[in-house]
Amino acid sequence: MTQADSIQRETYRAPGFWRSVFSKILFGAEMRHFALVLPLLLFILVTVVVPVGHFLYRAIDNSTLANNLPHAAASLENWQPQDGVPGNATFAAFAADIRAAVAAETLGQMAQSLNQQLTGTRNMMLKAGLMVDDSITDLNAKDMLLAKLPGLANVKMWMLVKAGRSSFTDFYLLQSLDLERNLNGEIAAVAPDRSIFLAAIWRTIVISINVTLICALLALPVAHVLASARPPYAGILLALVLFPLWTSLLVRTVSWIIILQGEGPVNTSLQFLGLIDDPLHLVYTRGSLYIAMVQVLLPLMILSILAVVVKLPKELVRAATSLGADWWQAYWRVQLPLIAPGIVTGAGIVFVFALGYYITPALIGGPRDQMLSSYVALYTNKTLNWGLAAALALQLLLVLAVAMLGWAAFQKLSRGKS
Amino acid sequence: MHFWPRLRAQLAGAHTALVLLFILAPIAIMVPISLTAGTMLTLPVPGWSWQWYEVVFTDPRWTRAFMNSLIIGAASTVLATILGTFAAIGLTWGRFPGQRLMLAVISVPLILPIIIMGVACFSFYATMGLVGSRLALVLAHAGLAAPVVVTTVMANLKSFDRTLMRAGASLGAGPLLAFRRILVPLVAPGICTGALIAFLISFDEVVIASFLTTADQRTLPRQIFSGVRESISPAIAAAAVILILCSAIVLALTAEMQRRARKLQMKPR
Repeated sequence: MTQADSIQRETYRAPGFWRSVFSKILFGAEMRHFALVLPLLLFILVTVVVPVGHFLYRAIDNSTLANNLPHAAASLENWQPQDGVPGNATFAAFAADIRAAVAAETLGQMAQSLNQQLTGTRNMMLKAGLMVDDSITDLNAKDMLLAKLPGLANVKMWMLVKAGRSSFTDFYLLQSLDLERNLNGEIAAVAPDRSIFLAAIWRTIVISINVTLICALLALPVAHVLASARPPYAGILLALVLFPLWTSLLVRTVSWIIILQGEGPVNTSLQFLGLIDDPLHLVYTRGSLYIAMVQVLLPLMILSILAVVVKLPKELVRAATSLGADWWQAYWRVQLPLIAPGIVTGAGIVFVFALGYYITPALIGGPRDQMLSSYVALYTNKTLNWGLAAALALQLLLVLAVAMLGWAAFQKLSRGKS
Repeated sequence: MHFWPRLRAQLAGAHTALVLLFILAPIAIMVPISLTAGTMLTLPVPGWSWQWYEVVFTDPRWTRAFMNSLIIGAASTVLATILGTFAAIGLTWGRFPGQRLMLAVISVPLILPIIIMGVACFSFYATMGLVGSRLALVLAHAGLAAPVVVTTVMANLKSFDRTLMRAGASLGAGPLLAFRRILVPLVAPGICTGALIAFLISFDEVVIASFLTTADQRTLPRQIFSGVRESISPAIAAAAVILILCSAIVLALTAEMQRRARKLQMKPR
């Protein structure tokens, strides 16, 4: 393109050029396609992404304390936990804040929020709410409040109030990792008897890995049989594998409870055969959890492997055998590497699904078999501890993200090889 | 020498039979248990009776749950199918910036752990006072099902010949007419499959339902769920069989739809 050319292009526009550019952008095919996707995008944003974001934000949200204790928090700006119980000015500001919270009817909320970070503070705050109407002045606030509410002598309580200077808190994130801030404000591990969450994360990962491995081992021969089945049987077998996928997860889990319970068919037949005298405790154990989860997820693994196995050339094994390999060598060194991508795909799907399982562990697992999902539900349902529930949900999402990134990296790597 | 391959095949066959038994037995045993004459969820059953189906079809708690499931399932299916079909068309044919990101956002419900979705909806709709309304559950279920509709319709659209749309346009059909008379009839099996799956997703969903419903809007799975925890009665099994039957019908219908889709695509043009 010469310079003159470009100058002319820059300067000369056919009549209606801009109008046509404008209408191309607004009414052109691309805009039309974009406009087709937009409603669903907005719908998913409003019904899924925003609620999830709103919920996860609660893991770091400290606004209840920040909004309700502004003066007390401000008065503690230069206070350190080592200074002990703060002075009269702080108590006066504290009383004023509580008075305002009572007037605004947010005291209950604040008491709940404090209680989640320091057990026992809820009742104290509610009592304080009843007291502040009395004769508490700026001069006697500390003596009056401390006399009736000995809990206010706890330095940890004032650390929490001081944290109210910020609208954000790391308390729940630390708690979900079995960590806390000590009196010096340093991050430290909580006492072993209170640490439960790291174990829960680890348990979630271990259970998911085990379920994935069991599924892979069970699915491999099934996929081969399905791939080599003749037409009428192949369709029937495939439908039989597909059908469980379509039936309610809840129904299948309930069914395992019935099968494995004390008076269930497994126990009664074992007793009938005289193999056992008393019914075995099969349900509400780790074993029953594995059985139910594998049953639910196995079809996904079978289908993923089957998708690869059906494409394998039949001549491969014969070629390997003709070169002197026995069956095992032909399978291990020729077929299996080609099936591996299917196994990896299936493993990724099964692992990701297993990580987030809730209904199955909640119904069929014992108290020691609960996974992260159950804890998210527990802190939401039982104690309305949104902060902790959200922090645990973040952990679950983090594990999920790491798993998916690892899976994607592995797939990219294996694709690069072949 | 011919002994080993045969034994191997027999072992693999036996293994497959056992695996199939393992994955199908829990579904199958619901049928005899639901027909028990006793009052316990046990096998073998003491006698046969339809009484628990009678309970499910007459007890107001179960009939209300059944109606709720149908209403919520139908509403979320309509919503998910309309939004999902349009989005699938835009995503298959469009080439616009941010397209991959849009697909990623739309796919979020596919991988999001259901408990996070449930608790998040509870937290979000509680602030708006919508917990305990059917609307909240319809929106949540539609959000859950729409990505599946998108995937299904996109798969069917890939084999749709776009020149047909241009041919229609050359004959004077506007975009709307071409959409209605050319695209929809040819992609209908895909849209119907997506709609059926969307219905099933809503019909079987229990976690979000357990967070968003009070006694009045309980769906069928939610009623089973509370039945398991509160009062174990064979009515649960009867309701479960109804859920299983619905799954079977939907599976059969989708198989038929996909068969029709293949037939439509094989027609000589």
